[in-house]
Amino acid sequence: MSDVLSVQGLSVTVRDKTLVQDVDLTVGPGERVGLIGESGSGKSLTALSVIGLLPEDVHAAGSVRLAGVSHELIGADERRMSRVRGLQLAMVFQEPMTALNPTMRVGDQVAEAMLIHRTVPGRRSARLAATELLDRVGLAGAMKTYPHQLSGGQRQRIVVALALANDPALLICDEPTTALDVTVQAMILDLIMQGVAARESALLFITHDLAVVATICQRVLVMYGGRVVEAGPVGEVFTRPRHRYTQGLLAASDLESADARLPTIPGNVPAAGQFPSGCVFRTRCAHATELCAEVPPWEGTPAHGFACHHPAPAMEPTHA
Amino acid sequence: MPEPVIRVVDVTRDYPRPRTSLLKPAPTVHALRGVSLEVQAGERFGIVGESGCGKSTLLRIIAALDRATSGQVVVEGTDITRLPERRLKFLRENLQLVFQDPMSSLDPRMRVRDIIAEPLVVQGHPASGERVRELLDAVGLSPDAGDRYPHQFSGGQRQRISIARALAPRPRILIADEPVSALDVSVRAQVLNLISDLVDELNLTLVFVSHDLSIIKHVCDRVAVMNAGEIVETGPTGQVYATPTHPYTRRLVSAIPTLPRALAGATTSDLLRGAPE
Repeated sequence: MSDVLSVQGLSVTVRDKTLVQDVDLTVGPGERVGLIGESGSGKSLTALSVIGLLPEDVHAAGSVRLAGVSHELIGADERRMSRVRGLQLAMVFQEPMTALNPTMRVGDQVAEAMLIHRTVPGRRSARLAATELLDRVGLAGAMKTYPHQLSGGQRQRIVVALALANDPALLICDEPTTALDVTVQAMILDLIMQGVAARESALLFITHDLAVVATICQRVLVMYGGRVVEAGPVGEVFTRPRHRYTQGLLAASDLESADARLPTIPGNVPAAGQFPSGCVFRTRCAHATELCAEVPPWEGTPAHGFACHHPAPAMEPTHA
Repeated sequence: MPEPVIRVVDVTRDYPRPRTSLLKPAPTVHALRGVSLEVQAGERFGIVGESGCGKSTLLRIIAALDRATSGQVVVEGTDITRLPERRLKFLRENLQLVFQDPMSSLDPRMRVRDIIAEPLVVQGHPASGERVRELLDAVGLSPDAGDRYPHQFSGGQRQRISIARALAPRPRILIADEPVSALDVSVRAQVLNLISDLVDELNLTLVFVSHDLSIIKHVCDRVAVMNAGEIVETGPTGQVYATPTHPYTRRLVSAIPTLPRALAGATTSDLLRGAPE
């Protein structure tokens, strides 16, 4: 079976700064893949390049192919992209405030998504389908409401319904629950999981929350400084991390088993475009040597590997 | 039992909302409905709850930035409930706050050294460069950071500046309102450690507010769980986390995704379930 999404050698640049470099990423049919990283790691830019919504002066290079779309997505003009967007490829954004049109009733917005792509025969059936979608996210009575009448969690449920309206082959979620309370987060995550399972859609889930990725995804890619530093099955990467950044991130976020002091990663995440040459993590890494001034080669297979000159030993448990 | 540092007795706070009709009275929001709690000296007290539960209102009332509709707030033996602003000087010195958003809580047009010295200046203390350098050092910033402006710092560093400012008048009570919610994971750990260390070194009483029970569990000894303007459960954090008794707390605890549970095969429907396991 061929992949639903295949990204090869993706780079994103703004003027002379490189923000994302050499990202390879595939998502198989029905597969749920997580993309984790802190702010400035390039995870959102990667998603925006796939869906073709990069800001004007930001440019993507490389190759992005989507199953069922005969053309290359990078560099495709707006007319062709707008036929793909919302049909084969849909996205749930972080801010449900800005993702919805404040002047339109939410039911009409969901119906519009289907009318634009002509996946329903007419207005009446679009409205029926929209009612059913809203019912599915537990907001059956919300057809005639405006976004400002709904809470953040309710709005995000509308956005999820909207993204799933045309049964996309790939759903991209960019930090969909970051602004929400934990109990609301649990509900949204469950809706997303049920939605993609019912449609056999593939899922690319972007977040900085390791536990969320572990709950939702089968495979994970760890990004730092615009590069993928480690990739593999969730169970492997989170229990036996090889890259020193993944290792540090896991230790720093483990509030469960830590004693009084949390293990930390020294320093701060550098500003975008100010990451060091060679290994992007070397300025914060305790294991860095002169060798790290060179870009570490990728070890392992594209689906399961890491890029580090001084990896953690293969059998070392999570917490040293 | 010694007199608690902070005692809140049956505090309510009602906000009037704009009228919706000429014929009906304006509706009110009951932000707090009879909250009582006690914080002992040197304790690390956590308040956890979701947005809109009233935790920020409670903090503002404890810090006398807002007034309770009814009830009583006693800080260090003084009833501050009806005290006029001019007699709150002792509170302004002894109780300091760190806010959630390090972007909006620092004046973008002031140099960092002036930001840190401001609480001293306002309270009529001499603000020496020596004290500012000492504070910068205490929060792990270099001395030359004082000459720069807030926008030149990252989120984690800005939160360090906020902490330095809060510590300037040598407070005995530190109130932190979601201090790490806006930070990256790798920086969050640093700031949590810093707060922990400073509370130990300076013998502070800490009131730590968060929506994330797992952070509270890491930092605090005791926790109050708030829901819809009421405290539904209070107890030692480990106990509340491991064996929550109130249904709301149970729902809250089980909704937190954790790595060990996820790796053991927990799914999103497990997060929605009322009880863990």
